[in-house]
This record gives sequence, structure tokens and C-alpha cells, in this order.
Amino acid sequence: MSETLIGLVSQYSPSGQEHGAVEWLVARMKSLGYDNAFIDEAGNAVGVMGQGAKQVVLLGHIDTVPGEIKVEQVSDLFYGRGSVDAKGPLASFVDAVAKVGVKDGWQFVVIGAVEEERNSEGARFVATQYKPDFAIIGEPNQWDRVALGYKGSAWANVTVKRGQAHTASGEETAAEAAVEVWLKIKAYVDSFNADKPKVFDKLLLTLRGMDSDSNDFEQWAKLKVGVRLPVEVSPEDWYVKLKEIVNGEIVEPTGFAISAWKCEKNSQLVRAFLSGIRSQGGEPRFVYKTGTADLNIVAPVWQCPAVVYGPGDSALDHTPNEHINLDDYRKAVEVLSAALEKLSG
Amino acid sequence: MSTVNCPECEAPIEFAEGTEAGEIIVCPDCGVDLEVTSIEPAAVQLAPMEQEDWGE
Repeated sequence: MSETLIGLVSQYSPSGQEHGAVEWLVARMKSLGYDNAFIDEAGNAVGVMGQGAKQVVLLGHIDTVPGEIKVEQVSDLFYGRGSVDAKGPLASFVDAVAKVGVKDGWQFVVIGAVEEERNSEGARFVATQYKPDFAIIGEPNQWDRVALGYKGSAWANVTVKRGQAHTASGEETAAEAAVEVWLKIKAYVDSFNADKPKVFDKLLLTLRGMDSDSNDFEQWAKLKVGVRLPVEVSPEDWYVKLKEIVNGEIVEPTGFAISAWKCEKNSQLVRAFLSGIRSQGGEPRFVYKTGTADLNIVAPVWQCPAVVYGPGDSALDHTPNEHINLDDYRKAVEVLSAALEKLSG
Repeated sequence: MSTVNCPECEAPIEFAEGTEAGEIIVCPDCGVDLEVTSIEPAAVQLAPMEQEDWGE
């Protein structure tokens, strides 16, 4: 079993508490023969193999959601927080690059980024520091699948205000008006989605909360509206459309809005992965995800061929039952090694 | 020039110059995506299935 996987998962590192795991991973990469390994200004763990002009960045994340799980192996399953999301994929990057070693003319950079489960602070820093020829992002997608797209997301509070009125007056309350506003937003989204069979191309709308209150002169109701975005709708487009739909009510964007990203499937990088998966007896599949990943942060900046890859079943993300199949992990290391060999061959 | 038949509609397909193994090409007859699995001998198969999944 991989010492990298065991050691990394054993270092419990929820977002904001990654330092121990980062130090451990840097030491591990040094012991595996990386040319250089260090902690960058954002607190990410970075390992560098080779000094060539062509660069591949393998970007995983080292933080997890909170909730420590007992680290243990049961038969061929390895349990622990982050074993799937996403220390399994990150450890497989570290092991694969160690296996491939230095290739003439190439440089492989493995990064364990911090804060992915919050605001992707680690990846935002990384995006400004590199300009790779190829990017591989680490997220669990099963060893024989290559993820080519992640949806974007945008959040907003929509506030409806009305003057106070007597309850017997029959006038529409702020809460009633907010319900009408929600139904209008939903009607627009239903209409937008009507001719789109693929979930990846749809707007996925959620009402995350609703609240209302009043004072002596005014009443208000607030909707917390979230949407998962397709490639064709940027966060800016969505906010403009939302303001148009709610027609004068208050729209306040909240949090970090992220654009969707779809990778080119006819790239040398994808071809290397297809070949690598077949070399392990797999039948490769492509997948498009409804969530977001660090891909959405770095790909628009780097504008290079990219894929998201990693062993593990994302249905186990964030669950108390998080575990990875060790045979899948081994196959993923082989697939990655074969892909890097082919790319740099 | 290498020629193969589409596994979906059996139409003959000629590889363009510079075609690489692993490349995704489109059958000019039925429009299905095909993966070039070998150049010599020429071989294609249906391109990897496209799935959708929730999660990060």
C-alpha cells in the first residue's frame, strides 16, 4: 500500500488547518527524490521534478471538509477523511511523478493546494504563479474516467421590501411578493432548461434559505438563491438576468462566483489519458460534473489543455464513510505514469 | 492513407494526414464520435461514453 496515501490521509487537515499535512507532504516528496519541494507563499505544498522548458502542473488539494474519520484499512478499502476528496488523487499524483522521474525537456510540478473546500485560496495563488503547457487537476472521478467539465456557481440574496400595511388591508406582503419573485426566477430557469437534455448545459437553481421580518414602518423578505451555471452563462450574465427577472427588487451577489469550464477533449493530454486507462485494461469514459473544482479557478487563466483526474468515488465525498479502493488507487498511479510518459515521450 | 469503417454505420472513413492515436474524430456519415485506437493498422472504436455526475 502507498506510504504517500497512508501518511497524507493520517495528517488530518480540514481547511485552515493544513500546515501539518503540508509539511509532511513536502518531506515525503523530498524523500521520493523530487528535485525540489517547498511550501509556497499561500501555504501550498509544492514538489518539482525536472527542470525542462515544457511544464505539467498536477494540482490537487490537501485540505478536507471537517469531520475526522478513523484511518484504517479493511481488506482492500482504505478509510479516512480525505481518502477520496481529495488526498487520494493528490497522493496518486505524488507517487506517479516519483515513478516517472526526470524526463528530458520537461518539468512536473505537483501541488497540494490549501483551502479548496472554502474559497480556493491556494489555487487562486497558484493560478498567478505558473503558465503550464498541460494541467491535471486532482479530484475523485474513478480511475477509468476523465472529467472534462465542471459547472460554475453564483449566489445572491434577493430582498423584497414593502411598506407596512394593516393585515386586513389585503395588500401583498413582502413575504408574499418574495414567493412571487421566486416563482418568476424558477419559471425563467425552467424555460432556459427546456431544450437542454444535458444537466451540464442547464441552470441548476436552489433556494437555500428564506427569511422575513418587519419594523414599525417596513417589512422585508430575503431569498438566498443559488445557481449552478453552464458554460454559456457567466456569473455576470446570471446577475444581469436575475436583476431583470426580479424587476427592481434588490439583488446582492454573495461569496465567490465561479464560471463553468469545459476542457477540450481532442488534446494530447486527453489522448495520453485514454491510452493510459486502456493500458490498465480499462474502458475510458468522459464525465462532466455538476460541482465546481480548482479547475474552474486555474483553467481560465492558464488556457492550456487540462483534465480532472483521480481515483475514488465522488459519491463518498464529505461522507462519514469516506474510503478508497486500493486497487483503484494503484491503477490510477499506473494511468498517470503512463500518461506522463506518453506526453513527455 | 489509412481507411477504416465506422463501427456504428459502416461508412468508410479516411484518416486525415497527421491523425494521432487517441484522437477523437467524427464519422462524416452518421456523426458519431470515434476514438482512433491505432494508426497502423488503422482502427477506431466508439469514443468514450460521456457521463454526467454530481460532486466536486
